[in-house]
Amino acid sequence: MGTGRLGAPMEHHGRAAATSDSSAREPAPRGPDGRRREPLRRRASSASAPAVGASALADSVRRERPGSYSGATSVSRQRVESLRKKRPLFPWFGLDIGGTLVKLVYFEPKDITAEEEEEEVESLKSIRKYLTSNVAYGSTGIRDVHLELKDLTLCGRKALNGVFRKADVRVLAAPATCPQIGDLQLCKLDELDCLVKGILYIDSVGFNGRSQCYYFENPADSEKCQKLPFDLKNPYPLLLVNIGSGVSILAVYSKDNYKRVTGTSLGGGTFFGLCCLLTGCTTFEEALEMASRGDSTKVDKLVRDIYGGDYERFGLPGWAVASSFGNMMSKEKREAVSKEDLARATLITITNNIGSIARMCALNENINQVIFVGNFLRINTIAMRLLAYALDYWSKGQLKALFSEHEGYFGAVGALLELLKIP
Amino acid sequence: MGTTFCWLGRRSHILCWRQKDVAKAWRLISWRREWRHPRKMLLNQLEAVAAIPARYDDNVDLRGGRADAQSWMNFRAFPWFGMDIGGTLVKLVYFEPKDITAEEEQEEVENLKSIRKYLTSNTAYGKTGIRDVHLELKNLTMCGRKGNLHFIRFPSCAMHRFIQMGSEKNFSSLHTTLCATGGGAFKFEEDFRMIADLQLHKLDELDCLIQGLLYVDSVGFNGKPECYYFENPTNPELCQKKPYCLDNPYPMLLVNMGSGVSILAVYSKDNYKRVTGTSLGGGTFLGLCCLLTGCETFEEALEMAAKGDSTNVDKLVKDIYGGDYERFGLQGSAVASSFGNMMSKEKRDSISKEDLARATLVTITNNIGSIARMCALNENIDRVVFVGNFLRINMVSMKLLAYAMDFWSKGQLKALFLEHEGYFGAVGALLELFKMTDDQ
Repeated sequence: MGTGRLGAPMEHHGRAAATSDSSAREPAPRGPDGRRREPLRRRASSASAPAVGASALADSVRRERPGSYSGATSVSRQRVESLRKKRPLFPWFGLDIGGTLVKLVYFEPKDITAEEEEEEVESLKSIRKYLTSNVAYGSTGIRDVHLELKDLTLCGRKALNGVFRKADVRVLAAPATCPQIGDLQLCKLDELDCLVKGILYIDSVGFNGRSQCYYFENPADSEKCQKLPFDLKNPYPLLLVNIGSGVSILAVYSKDNYKRVTGTSLGGGTFFGLCCLLTGCTTFEEALEMASRGDSTKVDKLVRDIYGGDYERFGLPGWAVASSFGNMMSKEKREAVSKEDLARATLITITNNIGSIARMCALNENINQVIFVGNFLRINTIAMRLLAYALDYWSKGQLKALFSEHEGYFGAVGALLELLKIP
Repeated sequence: MGTTFCWLGRRSHILCWRQKDVAKAWRLISWRREWRHPRKMLLNQLEAVAAIPARYDDNVDLRGGRADAQSWMNFRAFPWFGMDIGGTLVKLVYFEPKDITAEEEQEEVENLKSIRKYLTSNTAYGKTGIRDVHLELKNLTMCGRKGNLHFIRFPSCAMHRFIQMGSEKNFSSLHTTLCATGGGAFKFEEDFRMIADLQLHKLDELDCLIQGLLYVDSVGFNGKPECYYFENPTNPELCQKKPYCLDNPYPMLLVNMGSGVSILAVYSKDNYKRVTGTSLGGGTFLGLCCLLTGCETFEEALEMAAKGDSTNVDKLVKDIYGGDYERFGLQGSAVASSFGNMMSKEKRDSISKEDLARATLVTITNNIGSIARMCALNENIDRVVFVGNFLRINMVSMKLLAYAMDFWSKGQLKALFLEHEGYFGAVGALLELFKMTDDQ
C-alpha cells in the first residue's frame, strides 16, 4: 500500500480535526501549502477495516487511501477537484474528546454525483452507511437524531449533517493498543477556540429553520414556564459558560476576541460522581431521574433554618440556601432523607454554585447575556430552569440566561470547521 | 495624676469625674435597680450618693479619650456576655472580672457568683459545651474593668437546653442585657423571652464580626500577634506560620466561613459591604463527610481528611489532557472536575473513606478560595482575611487557601488568618453591650 507518497499533498485524505486530545501524538510538520503531512509510514490494514469501529472511531483521523497510490495518473477526478478547491477529502469529522464524553460531528454529503459514488472507496462508503443507518453504535455510542442539521452547505457541499455522541471515554483510554486504529494522527485544536467558533457558526445557520438559542420565561413556575426562542443577532459581548466535566467561563467580545475569565472544578462530573457515591446510581440519566423526584430542602440548611425567616439586612430570603448539605451533620436528619433528596440536593448545589460564579463574572465583565452550554445541561431541565431563575433573581432582572439546542457539541463543530478552514 | 477621665453629659455642662470614683459610685448604686435609670436622674443620684465634686473642664478631647470612656455612664450590670448563635455552633464570650473588691463581692447576688464560678472553673459544660482555654485573653481592660475574656462554644442544636438552663438559674433576675448576634438571635428571640424571660438585644452578625475582629486585633493575643499568614505554604518542610501586622487593615476582603460563607469588602471601621456569599461552606463539608464516610463530628472528618488522597477521587487536568493545559495556564495537577472519577465503578471501588473526606475538604476549600480570589480581583483588594470555625484546627484548608491565593494570583494576593477564628461575632456583640444607653 502506498508507495509513491513522497511529498504529494493529494495523498492526504479524510482528515478529522480533533480537540481536547488526550492521547495525542506528534502532529506532522506542515507542508508548504499549510496542510499537515504525515511522515512516511506503512499503514497497517486500514484498507479493509471500516473507519468506524465501535469505539475506535474517536481516533481515526488521517487515513491512507488504500491501493491507489502508484502515481499521479491514478488520482481520481473528485480528488483533484476537491484539492483544487482546497477542500479536504471525505469523510469530514470533528471530534471533541472531553473528560467524560467524546463528541463527534459527521458531515454526510447528500449531493454525491453518480461519478463520485463510483469512485468512492469502499471504506468511505461503509463509514457513511454505518453512521447514517444506525442510531446506536457498539454498547455506548449514540447518535442524537433530533439534533441533526439538514441541508447544510459546508465548503460548497450540501449535506445532512449528523451529530453524534459517544459515551464512555474509558474505551479510548488506550487507543495505541487498538488494532483497528493503526497509525493515526490527530490535528489538535484548542477546545475553547473550537467552542467559540462552533457556537457562532451553529447559531448563524440556525436549527433547520428554528432558532438555536432560547431562554425560559417564568422559570420558577412549573405551569407557566415556557421555552422561548432568542435571537442572538447581537451576540457580543457574551459570557459563555461551558459546563462539562468541569466548567470554563469565557467572555466573548468578538468573533476572534475572547478570554477565559475563570473556571470551576465543580461541574457536571462532580454532580455525576457525587450522585453515584451518594445514591448508588450508575448513569447520568438515572441521576437526573432521581433528582427530579427529590426534595433538597430536607438536605440543605436554608436561611430560615438559621434565622427563623429572612435575613433582611442583606436581602437573603428565607428559602435561600445558607449551607448546602448543612442538615446532614445531624444523624436524625440523615435518616430522614431519601436517595432522591440527596440527588436533588447535589444537582441544586452544583447548579447554584455555577450560577453564582457566572453571575459574578457577568457583573465584573459588564456583560448581561450569559449562555450556558455543555452536556451537563443535556435533558436537564431542572438545572436550566434553576440557572434561569437564579440569574434573573439575584441580578434583579439585569442578566439573561440563554441556552442552546446543540449544548455540548460546539467544540466538535468548531473542530470540523477548522478542518474545512471555515472562518 | 495620670488618671483617665470620663465624660458625663449633663445638659450643656461637661462634667469630669475621676474614673475610679465613678466606678465606685456606680458599683454601689447599680445593685439598686431603681437607681439605674434614666440618665439624668442618675447624675443627681451619683452626686448625692458619692459626694464627688464635679469639675468643669472642656479642654479634654472627647474623641481622643478611650473608646469606652463614654460608656461609664452606661455601665452594664454583670455578667457580661456576647453571643453569636450560628447555623451550627453557638459562640459565647464571657468577661470574668478580676478586680472585684471585697465590698462588691459581698453585695454580689448569689446566682451571679455561681455563674462566674461555673464558667471559670470548668472547661467543658454539659455534654457538648467547650471552653477554648488556649484562646483566653488575660488582663484585658473592658469598660474600665480588668478581667479575662473567655471563649466558649457549643452546638446550636443544644440551644434549647441553654435557654432552659437560663430559666432554671433565674438568669433574668440579674437584669442583664443579653447581646446576641447570628441568625439564632432572631430565631430564638421568642424562646428566650417565653422560656427564660430574657430580652435579647439583637445585632447584625456582619457588623459584629467586623467590630469584634478589629477589637481583638487591637488588643493583641496576650502579647502575641492575633493575625498571621503562611510562608511557603506548599512546602511541608519550609511552611511557616508568621505574624502579620494588621495595623492598616483597610481595604480588606473578609471571608467568613461558617456553615455558609459570606464575603465582605471592608473599607473602614464603619464602611463595608457584603460582596457575595456561597452556600458551599463548612456545613457542606461536614454534611457531605457524614454522608460519604459515616463520620459524626467535625474533628473526625478532619482526621480522616488528613490521611486521605483526593487525587484518586478528583479528575485532574492531566487525566483529561495527558499533561498541562498550557494555553490557559492550567497545570496537569490542577483539579478539572471534583469527584470526577467517581462516575466510574472501578474507581469508586478503589478509593477509601479517607480519600473521600480529603476530596470533600479540598473541593469546598478550593471553591471558596476561587470565589474569594475573584472578589479580591474585582474589588481591587490584595489582602484576604479568612475567619470562621471551618478553619478551626483545620491546617489543611488554611494552607490550601494560602497556596491557592498566592498561586492563582501570581503572588498578588495574600491570605491572612486570625487566632480567634470564629469568635469575632460574639466579641462584637459584647462590645455592643458597652455602647448601649439606658434608654435602649
